[in-house]
This record gives sequence, structure tokens and C-alpha cells, in this order.
Amino acid sequence: MAPTIELDGLEVQLGGRTILRSLTGVLDGRAIGLLGPNGAGKSTLINTILGFHTPSKGSVRVLGLDSRRDGKALRALVGYMPETDAFIAKMSGVRFVQYMAELSGLPTDQAMERAHEAFVYVGLGEARYRMVGTYSLGMKQLTKLAQAIAHGPRLLILDEPTNGLDPPARKRLLELICEIREASDICLLLSSHLLRDVEETCDQVLILRDGRIASICNLAEERRTKRKFLEMETCGAEPVFASALQGLGCECALFGNGRMKVVLPDAVEIRDVYKVAAERGVQIRRMNQRRDSLEDIFLNAMEQSGGSNGRI
Amino acid sequence: MAVYKRRYRPYHGPLTPERSRFLVLTRYAFAGLFRSRVFVLLFVLALVPTLFFAAYIFLANNSAVQQFLQFHVAGGFAVENKFFFTLTMIQTQLAFLLNCWVCPTLVAGDLVNGALPLFLSRPFSRPEYVLGKCAVIALLLSVVTWVPGLILFSLQAGLAEGGWTWSHLWMVVPIVCCSAVWILMLSLISLAVSAWVKLRIVATGVIFCAFLVPAGLGAIFNTILGTYWGSLLNFSELFRLILVKGFRLESELVGRAGLPQVPLFAAWIMMILLCVLSLYILDARLQAREVVRG
Repeated sequence: MAPTIELDGLEVQLGGRTILRSLTGVLDGRAIGLLGPNGAGKSTLINTILGFHTPSKGSVRVLGLDSRRDGKALRALVGYMPETDAFIAKMSGVRFVQYMAELSGLPTDQAMERAHEAFVYVGLGEARYRMVGTYSLGMKQLTKLAQAIAHGPRLLILDEPTNGLDPPARKRLLELICEIREASDICLLLSSHLLRDVEETCDQVLILRDGRIASICNLAEERRTKRKFLEMETCGAEPVFASALQGLGCECALFGNGRMKVVLPDAVEIRDVYKVAAERGVQIRRMNQRRDSLEDIFLNAMEQSGGSNGRI
Repeated sequence: MAVYKRRYRPYHGPLTPERSRFLVLTRYAFAGLFRSRVFVLLFVLALVPTLFFAAYIFLANNSAVQQFLQFHVAGGFAVENKFFFTLTMIQTQLAFLLNCWVCPTLVAGDLVNGALPLFLSRPFSRPEYVLGKCAVIALLLSVVTWVPGLILFSLQAGLAEGGWTWSHLWMVVPIVCCSAVWILMLSLISLAVSAWVKLRIVATGVIFCAFLVPAGLGAIFNTILGTYWGSLLNFSELFRLILVKGFRLESELVGRAGLPQVPLFAAWIMMILLCVLSLYILDARLQAREVVRG
């Protein structure tokens, strides 16, 4: 099966400026988060995938289809929820979604049925006959989601989906996104400034900085590997203690003055660390077990990508 | 009320043909238009002159009614090329008014709230979008221009005697083709202006200005410099010139006051340039994303 997104030396120029620079990488997760500071090129990458921008060099393939060569076929597989307002004010919500579904190729009766379904599904069933122009911001966001899923796409592209939502609406929207991801074999590409949104919904993350790839990481794997991540302050025979822990299969990093970081494999428990310390006569004065969050991954990527050429 | 399952399900059903999908735009646009009372009123009013022309044809071919009503016209009632020229001229001007109302409603609603990315993120291209919108104007203005022209031609053909149909059959070409040229130019200019301005009411005003202001400037240019090239800025006159040639009325109309003296090829070139300029503006404005330069 083709990867969700393949970037092959992708370069995009807009108004004489290079926005995306030699992006190369394979994203094969089912839910891909797109992270990066403002101006990193997230929206430009999405627009290039949708064929709104033409690559000046390289290519991007989505589900095996080239964005330039197979633009129409690619867009037939995609549902897009844009970041900004996108609606027709003088049209009822359900008719608007039906209209969009028909443009995606659904016959009229099917489009109508699925528009109703999508509206009920996103929780706007009661408001579907109201004009979209009268909706609140949260309702407009949900309407955008409804039009993006009504035609049953294989890839759902969500650009800042929780923008401007209050906490309950944000929670509801994220739950919906997770439900959609679990309900079928649909793939997600979610662009957001909010790391928690990405952390809650995605299993792979592409981090962009200044139009380059800062990092691609598998969140599920990261979560697993960082599950037993220890920060310790010790007193005693530190190198001996570290080599003993390495003997158990741990990865150790020493920072001097008794400070060390240890990544524990699944088989090793914290109790074993205490046991080794006792055997080696080492005092553990402070121990902090913490999970490496997406925030850490993001900040590391931002720090490390300063001189990167964009390849990973 | 129907009960829908609260879960997401993919779609595996049939799809409509891609080639005819632009007609979805047309269908929804018509549904929206006919909900407007102002539009319906304008549309009906635009067809009223056709009834008078139909009555004239009936009268011209019915001597009993002429005697009953005691109508006496010098030279008799004539349904010739000048009759259809006048009909086409009146109907195309009414089509212009109708177009000024309709065109901005077609585009402004999509652009003002940023719905265009939703259209273009589907298997649907910008030319198809323009085609879908042009189809609305073309169908609508056809009903007001060349369709009544052909109906009246058929009516006259049915009522007239002595081989009128065969001797006047050539008029079908200018009735259809000249109207089509006007519709094409009108729709492209109006769509371009609507895409540029975005606000409906303002766009209606700007479309009026796009036709009236250059015509005024052209007239001033002609008066000051004593030339006729300023008439190139009067789009209605350019169309009139083409219509005159189409209906073979040069001998009757050329040289009369108000008729532009510009060569026919210049009129054609000007109209083609207008269409190209309109397409350029549409290409620039109908973008799914704004491009920030700098």
C-alpha cells in the first residue's frame, strides 16, 4: 500500500520567495500531525498537496498520486477543512454540504442523504436547516468538517481545526476526529499550532521550520520509548552505577555532578534501579520519572534543525 | 424526521461523470436565482418586448385584423432584417440589465466568505468553475436574446407566404451568433468584475460603470480630437456595428449619426481583447489562496 504522503525534494516558491525547501521524507502514519511555528510552511504544504500551488522542484505524492500529474484524482480522495472561514452564507447548512458532496461527484440523492448524515454526525442535526451565515464560529467549524467528510474521503486534511473554539467545543471536535480515524481506514493530516491537539489525535508528526523538515517522528513509538525515562541526581560511584545499569539494558547519559538520564527498557523496573544503586553503594538523592511530551520533541526539533538541510 | 446513525462511514457508491459536473454549479445557481423575487420580476420584464414583437408579426400577417383595427402603415407592415435587428438590439440591452443583477450574485457569494477553496479542493478545476458560472449566464441570457428571436422567426415563417422562410433563412445566423458574441463578452466582463469586487451591490454598480464610463470617455475623445476611434471604448456600439453587418443593414445605417465608423475588424479585435482581459482577471482573482508577494 502506498504511503500516505511522500515528499521528494519538494520546493515551492511563492511571489519570488522560497517557502518550502527540498522537503524529502515518507509519512506512512494514518494520522499525521503537521507542526511548526508561524511561517514554517504548513499551510503551503497543504495547499501544494491540494494542487493550489505548483512545486517549483520535486514532487509530493499522496496515497501514491502525484499532486501535479494526478491532481484531480488526488483531490477526489481528499476532504479538506480549511483554516479560514469557508462557507456560502445564504445557503442552509445541509444544502451547503449537499452542494459540496455533489461537486465531489455524488449523485443528488446520495449527496443529500450523506449531507444529513454528516450534519447529524458532527452534532449539528438540529441546526441543519438554518443559513450558514447565522451559525456561531464553532458551528461553522463543524460545518466545515461536515463538508469535508460528506463524500467519504480517504484522506482528511484539517487545517487548524480547533481555531477559535471554546474548550468543550474543542474537546468535542477532537473526539470526532479520533472517532473518524478509528471508524474506517481514513487517513488524517492535521495542521495545528496546538501541540495537545496533535498529541491527542495523531500517530506521526512532521515538524517544519523555515520551510524545511525539522523532524519526522512516530508518536506512538516515542510514547513507548519514553515511558520509562528517568532523570536522577546521585552521589557515589556514578560511572560504576551507570555501567551496571547498562548491563541491565538501560541507556544512560551522564551530565556530571551526579546528574544522569536513564531510559529503561520494558523489562527493567524502577525497583531494579534501586537494587543496583544499593549494591554499588550509590545514593539516589532525586529521581524524576517523566514522559517525553510532544512539546519536548518539538522544542528539540526546533533547536536541532538550525543547520539542517531539510533531509532526514 | 429521518433517523441517521451517528457514525462515520466511507462512500463506495457511484459517482457522476466528471465532464458534466460543472452543471452542478449551474443547477444550484438557478435554484438560488429563482428564489429571488427581484430576479423573477426582471426576467419577466425582459421578455415583455418579445410579446409586442410577436403581436406585430401577427398583425403584419393578418389583413383582416389590420382592417378591423383600421391600421394603415405607409409601405405596409414589414418583417424583414431591420425588424429582427431591432428585436435583437432591444433584447441584448435588456440582457445587459438582467446580467448586471445576476452575475454578481453568482460569484460574490462564493468569494466573500472564502468558499472558493472548498470548490477547488475537489476534483473540480478553475476553468470548470468559470464554465459552470458562464453556463448560468449563457442559458439565462439565451432565453432573453436569441431564443425569442428564433421563436419570432419561426412564427413569421409559419404565417408568411410566398417563400419568405427560404429567402430570410440567413437571418438565423446573425440572430444566434451575434447574441452569442454579446452573451460571451457580457458574461466574461461581468464575472471578472464580480470576482474583482466581490461585494454584490458594488459589483453591479461597477459592471454598469465598466460599460458606461468608457463609452463616455470615448465620446469625449471623439469630440475633442474629431476622430471615431474613441468608439472602440463603447462596447454597446461595437456590438451594434457587428449586428449591423450581420443583418446586412450597412446601406441603411452606415453613415447615420451615432453609428461608429470604426472598421469591423477593429471592433472584433477590441471585443476579443476585452474577453482576454476578463479571462486574465478571472485567472488572477479566482485563486484558492492569496499569494503574498515580497
